[in-house]
Amino acid sequence: MSAVLEFENISLSFKKGKPVLQDVGFSVNPGEVVGLLGRNGAGKTTLINIAMGMLRPEQGAVRLFGMSPTNEPVATKKRVGYVCESQIFPLLSTVERLIALHRAVFPTWDTAMEKDLLDRFQLPMKSRIFSLSKGQARQVALLCAVCHRPELLILDEPASGLDPVARREFLETSVRLLNSAGTAILFSSHNMTDVERIANRVVLLNDGKVQLDRQLDSIREEICVAIVPCSSATDPGVIERVPGCLQVRQVFDDWHAVVEGSPEAVHVRIAAAIGRNGVRCLSVPLEELFIELLGGDR
Amino acid sequence: MQIMVNPSSELPIYRQVMRQIIEAIACERLKLEEKLPSHRELSEQLVIAPLTVKKAYDELEALGYIETQRGRGTFVRSKLPKINRNNHSDQIEQAARSLMSLAYLGGVEFSEVVKILREVDRELGKPQVKEKA
Repeated sequence: MSAVLEFENISLSFKKGKPVLQDVGFSVNPGEVVGLLGRNGAGKTTLINIAMGMLRPEQGAVRLFGMSPTNEPVATKKRVGYVCESQIFPLLSTVERLIALHRAVFPTWDTAMEKDLLDRFQLPMKSRIFSLSKGQARQVALLCAVCHRPELLILDEPASGLDPVARREFLETSVRLLNSAGTAILFSSHNMTDVERIANRVVLLNDGKVQLDRQLDSIREEICVAIVPCSSATDPGVIERVPGCLQVRQVFDDWHAVVEGSPEAVHVRIAAAIGRNGVRCLSVPLEELFIELLGGDR
Repeated sequence: MQIMVNPSSELPIYRQVMRQIIEAIACERLKLEEKLPSHRELSEQLVIAPLTVKKAYDELEALGYIETQRGRGTFVRSKLPKINRNNHSDQIEQAARSLMSLAYLGGVEFSEVVKILREVDRELGKPQVKEKA
């Protein structure tokens, strides 16, 4: 089973000495759903633009289905679907004509899927693109991105700015596509509950580097947060040296440590280092973990 | 199937699915040998990744609650596994502790708690605590 998308040691800087991406490497396998997370400016969109062949990396290589997206733009784009936050479509075109254009361009266009999505979305076919609501515009973009049954769907903040119902519909469409076509999905998002719903794996970018690349279930069950009162450990170094400790930050009067292991196991390890002085270890949802890993001292 | 998942729970989604299916079997909302929805149906219904449903089903199968019959689908087993009593009574004791601390805090009498337990038992429809005549 070869990867549908591979990033190999990608580096890129827009300004000299200020790298946006540094040595980023991971791959997406067929049928896999990978959530690409990170703070604003972490390099998510830049990485996605490289995957789509809109930017070239300075170092490293990107392969879509084993090909370079910049050398083989047509062969790769046939097999990819792409939706981003600020998709640009011809504003004066009507929905009907825009869909007809996509139908004509892609030989693998699935008219049954098109009809099914049109029925669900209830789009105003005769309206011009500029007159659509944000949610409708995103639905048009999604329809155009999935009806050629891509092997890989790349979504850059697909649901940002959508209301909860529209967001859920967007996820539903993605899940159906996963089921009916086995499509792999790479999506960037700030919405952690969306990520929890459909991602199998999470890649966390921090300052242009991959900080975490793991199965979501393993993150949920094998990483926990330990809360240690500062009075029990004056030096955070003591906690940092606990086996499996990924990082420590201060939150008011406590140290918050992200540690590998179940809460019970971590409790034992921390107790061995500092004694049982009011240490609490908890499993946390992805949103909390994200904040623990990327938030600074408070 | 009456399942809901909550992504911001501390339990991963596949565990939430597992737990709710076991609960459904325990209170007979899911009957023995009843057919479960396919991976595909349940993933579309809950709007979660099909691989997550697969993982929940695989674990339930390993625990002996359900079985997959090739080409036919997934079913609740005709005989349920004997649960490890020791392991289970630990969990019940833990739940009892938190139940009783709530009762103390709320000033609820012990007899009142017993009454509530009976009601819950009746509601779940599988009376196991024999009432004294």
